[in-house]
Parts: sequence; structure tokens; C-alpha cells
Amino acid sequence: MSVKTLKEIENILSQEIATILSIDSSKVIPDTPLHEMGIDSLSFVELLVFIEKIFNIKLMESGLTSEDFRTVRSLASSISQMS
Amino acid sequence: MGIINFPGKKRYLTGIDWIIHVLDYITKKATGTGNTSQIVLELEGSPQEDKFRNCLDSSIRKYPVLHGRPSRDYNLAPYWKISFTKQRQPLPLKISYLDNTSSEANIFSILERIANLKFIGDQEHLFFHLIYAENKTYVAMTFDHRLFDALGAEAFLEMLQNEWKNKDNSFCNKDIIVPAESAHLCNWRRKFIAGQQANRAFLKMGENAPPRVLPLPASLNNLGFRFKVIPFDKHQTDLILENAYEEAGYLMLMPYVLASAIWIMHKLFTKRNIKSGDYVVPVSIDMRPTDKVQQEVFFNHVSFLFFLVRPDEADHFPVLIKSIKQQLYDQVKSELPRNFQEASLLMRILPLPILSNIMRLYLKGQIASFSFSYVGESAYKSSSFMGKKILNILHMPRVPVPPGIGIFFHQSQNKLNGVLSFLEGILSDEEANELIHTLQSRLEAK
Repeated sequence: MSVKTLKEIENILSQEIATILSIDSSKVIPDTPLHEMGIDSLSFVELLVFIEKIFNIKLMESGLTSEDFRTVRSLASSISQMS
Repeated sequence: MGIINFPGKKRYLTGIDWIIHVLDYITKKATGTGNTSQIVLELEGSPQEDKFRNCLDSSIRKYPVLHGRPSRDYNLAPYWKISFTKQRQPLPLKISYLDNTSSEANIFSILERIANLKFIGDQEHLFFHLIYAENKTYVAMTFDHRLFDALGAEAFLEMLQNEWKNKDNSFCNKDIIVPAESAHLCNWRRKFIAGQQANRAFLKMGENAPPRVLPLPASLNNLGFRFKVIPFDKHQTDLILENAYEEAGYLMLMPYVLASAIWIMHKLFTKRNIKSGDYVVPVSIDMRPTDKVQQEVFFNHVSFLFFLVRPDEADHFPVLIKSIKQQLYDQVKSELPRNFQEASLLMRILPLPILSNIMRLYLKGQIASFSFSYVGESAYKSSSFMGKKILNILHMPRVPVPPGIGIFFHQSQNKLNGVLSFLEGILSDEEANELIHTLQSRLEAK
């Protein structure tokens, strides 16, 4: 997997969240908490599965705190550090 | 305002629709009444009866699908036969006026009785009750699950609300034809592979079958369902969300409430000295994107996750949560809900009696230890109904028999509601009260 910039990771995550929620990707704001965008338990797990598939990182039992998952930005930052 | 169009007078049933028909068949065979549910709107004040009646009458003319019935095509594909002749008949509506002395318990017992009423004939799938109490009104909509799933029923109430406001139901303007699966077997290879995947998952689930179940009463005929409701207030709901965050993680409310449900059921089973088998819990999930619910109101758009929990896991809450989260992850990763949806399309040609037997093969005559669902975001978006503020929205679903017992959660007005639904005789009243008390304690544990 090529090293991606933080911005690239944010864009990939935003696109996937937009697909999961069937919304326009412009509505996915990197600093908005995921639950405020409408992400629930099931769609959150869909996102984690996507992250494993694309970035080869299993976040479910990674020891990351809930704050690390909270927004697209914090999630991208965690992925970038683990990559 | 347009009419929701279906191609011709037929709306072909999807595989999931057919599964719901099987559950209806099983429950009707066991108890005499099918797989029905009830939504109750608790309103502040009293909506006008005549306006409500007018609104219902005008709605029925627009939605002839409400008076349909199942049928089969020449190629064996099942479909919903839509009746355009019956659409002039008004939807059944009963009104009750309670005096000032009526207690909450009395109102609830009326709602419980209504939830168990049978539909008349094969083309009645919906009826309404208006209960006028002191300062409050309860609007109870009893519906056939073959016609709506839970979110669809809420969306239908929203349509009635829009009707009352003379507001166009936006999907009607677009004259959207609700997409239905073709009657013909197409993309069969994909469906076959999906079937293989689903079959593998079910075989694994049945390794230690039959699952742990509560024994059913000796005679089931004409037994009704009882309900116990826990309406959590805002403060309690916030506490539960906080606990879910701490014990299960960010956005893990559904696994948390499921774990809590399994945990309390395990206590009941242990007390009853029921020791053999694992817990198998199917969880229905809505497959529509949230904004699509309003466009796909009728019929069923769910699939299922299936959780298998060993009794030793159910003894320890952190272990239980971890197991549920891992199973959720694995099943989403393996696309089990999607595979189940696809595979079920292949089963549409099977008659209901045969499919009901096949469904029970995996778990040696059983379907589940108990039913469960969690509806996180309500499809009813308005804060009022016909001019009256909504205080709460309750779901009171009857449960397929077997298993005859279910635990359901629903969020509305930023508050959580828990409902225990059980067949008469499967639990004593003391056991039911203890169950919900324990559930409440578990969820709010600090």
C-alpha cells in the first residue's frame, strides 16, 4: 500500500462515508463527529471493514480510544500513524 | 397528489418479503393471529376526530396497496395483488373515550388488547384506534408486518401527517415506482453463491442446535401477547448512551443493548434451570439508507444479523460485549445480511409450509432463542401529529412463535424505549417484571 497523505486518507474516508449514508461527499465534514452525520453501529462497522480492506488495519481491537474514531480527521490521523 | 404506482396490479415480493410471510404463517398457525405489530403515538391534547377520519379516508384512496393480498404468478413468483376495487372502503377506525379516572395501567391494557386483535379476511392489514384520555390521546396503528416493516410503518404515519397538512408527500410528486425484484430468476449465479455463503453461516450457527429456548405453553390457540414497556426519559437515555460508550465503545449502542438483552435472558434461563444449547438471536436491520425510507414505505426492506452466544460468554458482560462486537464485524465483513437478502430470492418459489420447515431445519425445529431489534433513527420526523405534540412513539410487536418472546428498542424524540413482548403463558407476570427491572438496571448500571 503506497503511503498516503493525511488529506488523501480523509478524502477516501469521506467518500466511503458518503457512500454508506447515500449522501453527497460534500456533506461529510472532517471535524463533525460521525454520529452527528448519521453514522450508527452498523454503518460504523461497515466503515471499519472498509478501513481494514483498504488500509490493511484492524481498528476494532487496535486499542485506539473512542476519541480516535470520533471524526473523519481523527480517524485519518490514527490510520496515518498506524500505516 | 399522485398515487404510488406499482407496475400493473402486482408488486412482486422480494425474498425478504417472503421470509416475513413465512414468519406470519408460522405465527398464525401457532396462535391463530399473524405476525402483526402496533405503533402507538402518545400525543399531548386531542386531535380532532373528524379530521383524522377524513385524513384516513383520503389516504386509503391513494394507497390501494393497503387492501392487497398475496398471490402467485403463473411462474410461481409470489406477488402482492393490489386491489383497486376495495380502495373505496374506509380504513377501520375505533374511538374510545376514557374518563378522568383512567390510569396509565388501564390505558396500557387497552393498547395491549388492541395489539392482539385479528384482521378480518385476507385483505385487511391495517386498523386504527384513537384513545382519548385526560389531556392525552393515543393513536394506535395496528399493522400487518407483510405490508410494512417498523420504519415503513412510521413513514406511513408521516405520510398521514403530510396528508393532514395538505403537504405533498415528496415521493408521490416524483411518481416513483417502488422497485421490486423481477419475477424471473435472473443473476442466478450471484444468488446461488450468496446462498452458499448464507448456508455456511447457518450451519455454523446450528452446530450446537437446538438453541436455548423457553418452553411454549401446551396449547397456543388464541393466545395473545403481553407487553412490558420501559420508557426511558432523557436523563436515563443519556446515562445509557454514556454506559454504551464506556463499556462497548464509540457508536456501539446496538451491541450494548443487545448484550444487555442477552445478559438478562441468560439470568432468566439460569433461574429456570434451562441449561442446554447456546443463545441464537437474529437481529433485524434496515437495509435502506435513511433518506430512502420515505420512498420505500411499503413491504419489507430488512435483513438479518445472527448472533450466537455461548452460556459461558453470557455470564460475563465484558466478554459478552466483545463476542457480539466481533460477530457484528465478521458478519458485516462477510456481507451476511446482503447474502441473506440475495439468497432468499431463490426461496420465493417454495410454498410457505415447506419453507417454514426448511427454516427450522438448521436449529432443529427452532428459529431463535428470542427476537431482537433496535431502531436507532425514527422514520417519523415531525414533532407533532395532526397539530398535537408527540410525547412518545412506542412499538408493540407481536413476535413469531416460536420463539414467542422478543426484546425491542427504539429511539424517538431523543429518548430510548425498551419493549418486552411475550406470548401469554411463556412468562409469569413476576418473571416479566423482574426481566424489565433487571434490564433497566443493567442498562443504567454505574
